[in-house]
Amino acid sequence: MRRRINRINQVPALGLVATVMLMNVSATAVAQDGLASQLFWQPESGAVWENYFEEPMPPGFQVVSTELDGPLFADSEGRTLYKWPQRDLRNGGTGDRKDGGKSNCTDTVLRTSAGLMSPYPPGLILPDLDRRPSCTDAWPPVLAAADAEPVGKWDLIEREDGSLQWSHDGFPLYRSALDQEQGDVLGGLILEIRGDAPVVRVPVGPRSAIPPGFQVVQTTTGRLLIDDDGDSLYVWDGDEPNQSNCYDECAVTWVPAQAPATASPQAGWSVIERSPGKNQWTYRGQPIYTYAPDPRARSLRGSDIEGWSNVYTQRALPPPAEFTVQDSRIGQVLADANGKTIYTYSCADDAMDQLACDHPDSPQEYRMALCGAGDPERCLQTFQYVAASEGAQSVSHLWSVMSIDPMTGRRAEQGDAAAVAVWAHRGRPVYTYGEDEMPGDANADSYGEFNGRRNGFKAFWLRDDFRNNMFSR
Amino acid sequence: MQDTAIASATKWRQTPFFFALAGAVLALSGLAGTAVGAEAPADGRIGYVLTDRHWAIFETEDGAAECPQGFNLGPREQYSKQFPVEDGVERTVVETRLLREGRQWHPTIVEEDLFPFYAAQGNKSVGLDLDGVADDNDFQSEDGETSGIDNQLYRVIGCIAHYRAGGIIRHFENKFAQQYNDNRWLVELSQVDDLANDDDVVVSIYRGMDDLLTDASGEAFIAGATQRVDARWGRQYMALTTGKIVDGTLVTEPIDTIKIPWSSTFDTSGYQVFRGLRLQLDLDTESAEGMLAGYTDVEAFNHQLNTTWSTHHQSYGQLSSLSQYHALRNFADGYPDPETGVNTAISSAIKVKMTRVAVMHPEVSYQAIAARAESRK
Repeated sequence: MRRRINRINQVPALGLVATVMLMNVSATAVAQDGLASQLFWQPESGAVWENYFEEPMPPGFQVVSTELDGPLFADSEGRTLYKWPQRDLRNGGTGDRKDGGKSNCTDTVLRTSAGLMSPYPPGLILPDLDRRPSCTDAWPPVLAAADAEPVGKWDLIEREDGSLQWSHDGFPLYRSALDQEQGDVLGGLILEIRGDAPVVRVPVGPRSAIPPGFQVVQTTTGRLLIDDDGDSLYVWDGDEPNQSNCYDECAVTWVPAQAPATASPQAGWSVIERSPGKNQWTYRGQPIYTYAPDPRARSLRGSDIEGWSNVYTQRALPPPAEFTVQDSRIGQVLADANGKTIYTYSCADDAMDQLACDHPDSPQEYRMALCGAGDPERCLQTFQYVAASEGAQSVSHLWSVMSIDPMTGRRAEQGDAAAVAVWAHRGRPVYTYGEDEMPGDANADSYGEFNGRRNGFKAFWLRDDFRNNMFSR
Repeated sequence: MQDTAIASATKWRQTPFFFALAGAVLALSGLAGTAVGAEAPADGRIGYVLTDRHWAIFETEDGAAECPQGFNLGPREQYSKQFPVEDGVERTVVETRLLREGRQWHPTIVEEDLFPFYAAQGNKSVGLDLDGVADDNDFQSEDGETSGIDNQLYRVIGCIAHYRAGGIIRHFENKFAQQYNDNRWLVELSQVDDLANDDDVVVSIYRGMDDLLTDASGEAFIAGATQRVDARWGRQYMALTTGKIVDGTLVTEPIDTIKIPWSSTFDTSGYQVFRGLRLQLDLDTESAEGMLAGYTDVEAFNHQLNTTWSTHHQSYGQLSSLSQYHALRNFADGYPDPETGVNTAISSAIKVKMTRVAVMHPEVSYQAIAARAESRK
């Protein structure tokens, strides 16, 4: 990657021209039905979803295409399956060990903190104990019949009570009590885990149907195609179906994704011959390229050049119509109708079972501490819910309208006069920040414990031109 | 003066000759000497990129002189005193961890800190005279030659281990300033007739976009690289002022308000806000070194700390943001709130080193600066 940066630095005209071209785009990035929408989301009509490699599965399971996380395994009722990979935190680890042959998610209701995170000690009594579920209440194990047989990567482990639990690729499988219908993935995300994020549950799915040399990475709005070096792939409007028109100078800037002589077509993928002995991959009929001036991995910069677009195996459907996209200090953020940056809140407690505390059915004490030092009124000044207009709906399954009691942060009771209808992303209300003054301000990004990863707020980044795109949690 | 500079710079930049000259400047960069002579840089323009920055504090080796009471307590030490294990009390997450975290993010809900704060003592420090007045609160330079130094931030951070030599924040803030391009900070001088003495130069500040150019060791920074101006995402970091060069030292007029990017490795993108920031830099044709000094916005300083360094990381250097916040408020000495009269900013200084770069402009950067300058009228 450094080689490329140096090359740009040595050619001032190229750097300047690229920057000037960027200028032309930045002024247009506002309304979600404009260019920005095309960059980040796909329209509802004609939506395409990621292909996957089929694999043998036990009876009663299926693969469901989900809007953000791609194809995932589900049970017969369409409920998403998750794993809980072990990770080490500051003072110890938790989760399930790969090929460990056991589940660490039990039916015990934990009372005290584990002290896995610094600097707070273990043994503190957890909030909301009278309502606290056990791990298996929140994450019911995917149980198998006594006569179930392993198939392929699907195996069986024995739980402490003697029941059998399905595992996949060495990890015990669970459902999330939050998922209610097919396509719900409310228990977790595939987004990269970095820093001091909790030991989270991760949805499980089949392998993406992509040839060797390519990868799919999860973004906040879709599944981005990159090569094994991490470089983003692009397609060009100037090409024709399975024919490249990018040669000479064009092919210096836009480097054709070379296909080896042994490459063979597969679902959505073909090979074209650019010149004798030199082949190029195409995806969904479009020749694909990397962009030589891209300074770092997972870049979206090439899409600023007119006619060129990043390649996604699938993108989410657009967010609610009143939302906007705003330029911010390192890229672009999702914003409300007034241009105020949208924030998501995430939280898991410091118990061995790492249960979520970031949705309205979980303890609100964690969020209330951060947004108002325990004072709900102060909370509502610091982080405001994003009100949904009456009858508002979303074409995206990821967005919903929730009825919230703003003083408790929990779901409002039927007929509650104080209830407010608010927008939620993945079953969790989103917020704006009281100290953001101008469109594009993102002053509450990383607000909270461990830069907002452990118990706190992150700006809804759509694009980050400086940090390999911070599509992580 | 500023409008003229913008207009002439824009016009100049529209000529094809500019591009050829920019290349020539680069090509000749390896031949440039370091001595400052009575000569103008090519096209009257020279740029520098920040390579090192540290909050300016005066410290003795053991700290006994300036911190006779020792260093301040951090979150771990304070927690142990506030919630002693020895008392055998069973405590909850809410009344311990969440209580402390809540106060950290909302420090004004408690009128004063529970713990004593150890401010740096003495009359020696580092910085500039910001207000032209030498009073009892001001400092002298270590050699005693300069008085009236305004650096009340030193009183606050001088006895916090994090900011002292070997401190984690001191080390990593500088490392991340080098490592992450969203921290790239450019100063460009234009209309320079003589790099040694010129009573009227234009000083433009931008965020850059590119890696620093280092030698094979990866540690030393090489002059002559290019840095593209980030005119898209970095507009809020642009600023414009004027200054003069006297015997090779640039001294600028204060910039009323400026944001400086100040992010870390945890995918953060925070910034500091300064009021009345001025630059004092010793210039040569390869580098610049000196001081940024002005009034640091107290709320922004605290917010940057909390969004950048978690309580765990603050603990590394015994830094309690709640204690520090109250000290910041106590020692704040500038920009009083017009309604309450409470000072909102604290005098401060930052030691900096910079390396010469060729600043590559898209035209819009000048337009953005012009618009910003216009909006301040």
